[in-house]
Amino acid sequence: MSAATNKTTPITLTREDVRAMRAKRGLKRRRRRRLATTVNIAPMIDVSFLLLIFFLVTTTFERAEGILSSSMPAEQGERAAVALPISPIVVRIQKTGEMHEDFAIKIDRFDGAPQTFDALPDFLRGLFKMPGFDEETPIVIVAANDVPWDHVVACWNAVVRAGSKKIAFAEP
Amino acid sequence: MSYTRKERHTPPPMAFNATPLVDVIFLLTIFFMLVTRFSSAEQTPMELPKPDHSVAELVKMTDRVIVNCTLVDPQAGAAGGVMFAIGANPRESLGAISDRLANVKALRPNIKVIIRADRRLPYADVRALMRMISRHHIELLNVVAHVAEAES
Repeated sequence: MSAATNKTTPITLTREDVRAMRAKRGLKRRRRRRLATTVNIAPMIDVSFLLLIFFLVTTTFERAEGILSSSMPAEQGERAAVALPISPIVVRIQKTGEMHEDFAIKIDRFDGAPQTFDALPDFLRGLFKMPGFDEETPIVIVAANDVPWDHVVACWNAVVRAGSKKIAFAEP
Repeated sequence: MSYTRKERHTPPPMAFNATPLVDVIFLLTIFFMLVTRFSSAEQTPMELPKPDHSVAELVKMTDRVIVNCTLVDPQAGAAGGVMFAIGANPRESLGAISDRLANVKALRPNIKVIIRADRRLPYADVRALMRMISRHHIELLNVVAHVAEAES
């Protein structure tokens, strides 16, 4: 046998040939099934629900906490009696009844003090315009022992709102 | 009997469209994540002062001690007495708190004190605490109150 006869002749089959062969053998054309590409979102929903329930349970809708700062005569502590340079404005808070809202505001030497802390800044600003008084005038808050802490803070807040630079607390 | 192509057609599998559900869940989760403010264990739950038009500022302080002043029995109100606690520690008397503050001041000279007092407490109780803090030569005194509505 010659080397030439060993060579295999390439057979080229057309698509029609393949179809005919498959039809002859009784084979049906197998359709290639395409797999649907889907993302399994079940774990994501699980985690999202978990987070949602956590935040639902832990969230409390409250007003944020802030700070009213003040400096104290630190070196000497309370023993140092600081002489007040000019006549201060003394704001007194007194309890007038058993209810939380029962209180009265008095300002020494000045009549017509407002009876709400909301109106106090305007009144104090009016005093600051008077001769001998300004924002540097010390304001002394004197609250009675039984006055709720809420009113003392409200008074402090009102004095700061009025623009006062010097605020002091004194014994009733 | 031969079946037509239409009769052999199998119905598509029932599918649940979860997309709107996921949208809503994400929306709610993001909302709650944004509005949630985690409170520290140091901040004992209590009714804080709520001044009108509050000028209290949201300040992050370092090197500070929080002293919580709470009513012993919130139902009884101010008559039930007051107890003090440093941060999340157990409640103690004013004398015990004074000793603790003295130790803290010795270790950390620049310590600042933040007073968180229940709004219903009588001023005399808080003033006693303020005087005690002053005795320990602590310079900065800070009082906690709710901030204005718009800020919170």
